[in-house]
Amino acid sequence: MDLDFFSKSIVIGLTEHAPLILAAIGFALLYRLTGLINVAYSETITLGAYFGMWFNTTYDLNFYTVLLPAGIVAGLISVGTYFAVFRPAKKLNVGALEMIIISFGLSIVLRHALQFVFGYPVRFFEVPPPVSIRVLGVGVGAFRILAVASVAAVSLALYYFIQRTSFGLQIRALASDEDLAQASGIRPLFVTVLIWFIAGVAGGMAGAFYGVSSSVAPLLGWRQFLFIFLVVVVGGRKGLGGVIITGALTGIALAAMTLQFGQVLYAQLALIIAFVVLLKWRSKRSIETVKV
Amino acid sequence: MNLEWLDAFLISGLFSVVVIIGLALLLHLQLGLTRIANFGVVGFFGIGMYSFGVMFTKVDWPFGDLPAFLISLAFGTLVAGLSGLLVGWLIADLDEDGVLVGTLGFATVVFILATTEQDLTGGALGLGGLKFPYDVGTVKADEFLWLIIVSIVVSLIFLYVWWVHRTPYGRLLIATGGNEPLARSLGKATFRTKLWLFAVGSAGMGLIGALFGVMERFLAPENLGIDVTLAAMVALVIGGTARAWGAVIGGFLIFGFFDIIVQSYIPFPKEWYGQAIPNAKLIVEGLVLMGVLLFRPLGILGAMQRDKLMRRVHG
Repeated sequence: MDLDFFSKSIVIGLTEHAPLILAAIGFALLYRLTGLINVAYSETITLGAYFGMWFNTTYDLNFYTVLLPAGIVAGLISVGTYFAVFRPAKKLNVGALEMIIISFGLSIVLRHALQFVFGYPVRFFEVPPPVSIRVLGVGVGAFRILAVASVAAVSLALYYFIQRTSFGLQIRALASDEDLAQASGIRPLFVTVLIWFIAGVAGGMAGAFYGVSSSVAPLLGWRQFLFIFLVVVVGGRKGLGGVIITGALTGIALAAMTLQFGQVLYAQLALIIAFVVLLKWRSKRSIETVKV
Repeated sequence: MNLEWLDAFLISGLFSVVVIIGLALLLHLQLGLTRIANFGVVGFFGIGMYSFGVMFTKVDWPFGDLPAFLISLAFGTLVAGLSGLLVGWLIADLDEDGVLVGTLGFATVVFILATTEQDLTGGALGLGGLKFPYDVGTVKADEFLWLIIVSIVVSLIFLYVWWVHRTPYGRLLIATGGNEPLARSLGKATFRTKLWLFAVGSAGMGLIGALFGVMERFLAPENLGIDVTLAAMVALVIGGTARAWGAVIGGFLIFGFFDIIVQSYIPFPKEWYGQAIPNAKLIVEGLVLMGVLLFRPLGILGAMQRDKLMRRVHG
């Protein structure tokens, strides 16, 4: 193994899997701040890809122009699902386990309903081949560089927003104690809607990046969901920073193993096993701590 | 056997209903009683199906078809059971997110192996060469007999579930699902109970997968989609997660309607049957799952009637 292998793994890992980090940030926001494991988040990603492709092909707009609108539409749909499903579910006191299954049902509904709207065949963005830029000797497409820049921008914006603004303070207060936050004059509805919107925008933009670099298909988001979820469950304990670092390391590991095994599926296989074993090891450790 | 009265679509429709009921019954023990949401049903179903298929078609058996078939079937069931034991060990002390990751991860691993291990599974091209262990004349008669055999197997699974409800083991599952720390503090081995539950449940799912593979005759990774897990979950949830009959009633209601009535008896335009109806079916499944859990979480049959049952069992 030489330096070339490492630099290749790092460049490919970070650029190719930047959408994974972006999607994981959105998912983590929902997961950590509302406590919800939202399986339907995979469809927010898919819808971002579909709307991006639709804006791009219908109005003949370039990818850079459609990226944010695709994210915003996905964000609005995300808020829509909150009002249509998750808010009523919370009011009806649905349990945590049932909530996961409900989000699974919603995921299936959205995935198949969108096929009635956008059609069954796999669709593609109509974009000229992206300009290739050499980074550490590895050729990287301009869209992928933009994906990395978006991850950096969204992460910084979110960090600033959550840590430094009054809305961010409200979000954190709401996440730690909803009743107290409400008694302190925080409008939980507005803040919750904001969280769902930001998460949706991040997911939708990630979807557009996934879509433009391959194709737009109904299973686009679902195929990424397990990895997004793994990154958030493993890295989420350390806040958004943990999610970003775990996401970046996951991307690099996937790229390195794909280079090594010659097949991305083997890399995914190794990663799933490694993450699940890590979770098991962590739970064993925490049980030991409780015993003490 | 003269089977002219019997529609071939009816056989395949009934077969899929029976398979889904079988999976939903096993899921009932995990989700309904022990409250472990197994999102990897299709993984256990798939590993049983492929282990059976590979063993049956790739090994040069020195004896006749029937013993080879039965040994392969046992092998598929055993591999699924051992996988269940491993997955159970990994997730038994994790919370809901860990269980979701572990079970979904297992299903993905099985899908990946079915796709990558081309020498064994045929990869994306699929694995052919499966056949019924008998020949009673026509394809329709063979399939009808297979439907009866699989119905008997699923009935036995139902009897097992029915028996579990009446045993101390069943009460232990319910206690573990209700309040695990309490059950453990009372000296119950909840970890071991979950392991056993996962091993037996997964072996059953693997057996059903193998039986399903025989009817399909051709195994492909497309058979390992999340819709298998969804189908079992929907059947169970609509009938009633907490009741043994829930899976049976839910399976007949929703899949009987789609796979038998819509497929054979409602004259929709022919072109709808290709993609529109399967797509609409999945939307309805998702809506049912959401609607039932929101407005009637215990399904059609409602809550467990433990007091009544215990009085009947113990007097």
